Amino acid sequence: MTSSAVDPAELERIRRRIFLALFIALAVALHTLEALLPSPAPWFRLGFANILTLTALFLYGGRAAWSVTLARIAVGSLFLGTLFSPGFLLSLSGGVAAVALMTGARALAGRRLGPVGISVLGAAGHAAGQVLIAWLLLIRHDGIWTLFPFLLLFSLGTGIANGVAADLLLELLRGHPAFAGLAAPPPGEDEA
Amino acid sequence: MALKAIWRRLTSLDRLVVLLLLLGVGAAFVLVGQRPRGAQVVVEQGGRVVFTAPLREDRTVSLPGPHGETVVAIRQGRACIAGASCPNKVCMGMGEVSRQGEMIACVPNALLLHIEGDADDETKDYDLLSR
Repeated sequence: MTSSAVDPAELERIRRRIFLALFIALAVALHTLEALLPSPAPWFRLGFANILTLTALFLYGGRAAWSVTLARIAVGSLFLGTLFSPGFLLSLSGGVAAVALMTGARALAGRRLGPVGISVLGAAGHAAGQVLIAWLLLIRHDGIWTLFPFLLLFSLGTGIANGVAADLLLELLRGHPAFAGLAAPPPGEDEA
Repeated sequence: MALKAIWRRLTSLDRLVVLLLLLGVGAAFVLVGQRPRGAQVVVEQGGRVVFTAPLREDRTVSLPGPHGETVVAIRQGRACIAGASCPNKVCMGMGEVSRQGEMIACVPNALLLHIEGDADDETKDYDLLSR
């Protein structure tokens, strides 16, 4: 028998956990799908999975964004068979740099910065983190930095696209009854 | 229009961030474009140097790899991959390189082509000149 007399806070916590798991599952799916797409060079990734990180960040706060990204990279790499390979290292460094920038920017700017701004910052952080780690650990060659402007320009485009997608998704989710009781947590004081 | 709808989704700080990053991209392009022209092409395969040639002379060479032949061409002081046996042809799409430190990677054939030396100061490459 289903109990209807559940503590609403407890219900909200469970709901949040389930949605976070769904976000992670979707992010892993996008991460894997993206690896199947042809790409001009190994580092030019579209970063669709970031849509889910952004959604988690805006709905549930910074810690949720960290969970989605780290879990997505770990599980996604496991699926692709790239776990602990150089590609995984780049993915991880890019992801960590991106989430650090995104959560930091959200905590600092709060509501003044929308999903698109956060997304663009994250994409740029992803590009910078990847090239930095590639340069530090994999290819100790300054030439790798010649790739950086192209990567940054590309990330700007994908950042805007993913930001808009995340904004649309957020609009859709916030209109749904499952998220009705959910006020966006004030940046900085989240609990996930 | 779709572009207008996107524009309306941005907060003013969003627009500022995008603008700043766009400027950053421009600055990065300028910085990279200022590298001095290189003197020679070095092709490495799995960490070993398999081919070097000065950029001054035009020439074309075919290098074998695990996936097949890769054709490296030097034309008018620029080097590029003119032909590759790999399915994606990523390296051919990477265009021409001529500036110091620029490189082209061909992953299936484990080739790394990069430009070294300084075209304006050729003698620097020699340890000593004896007559």
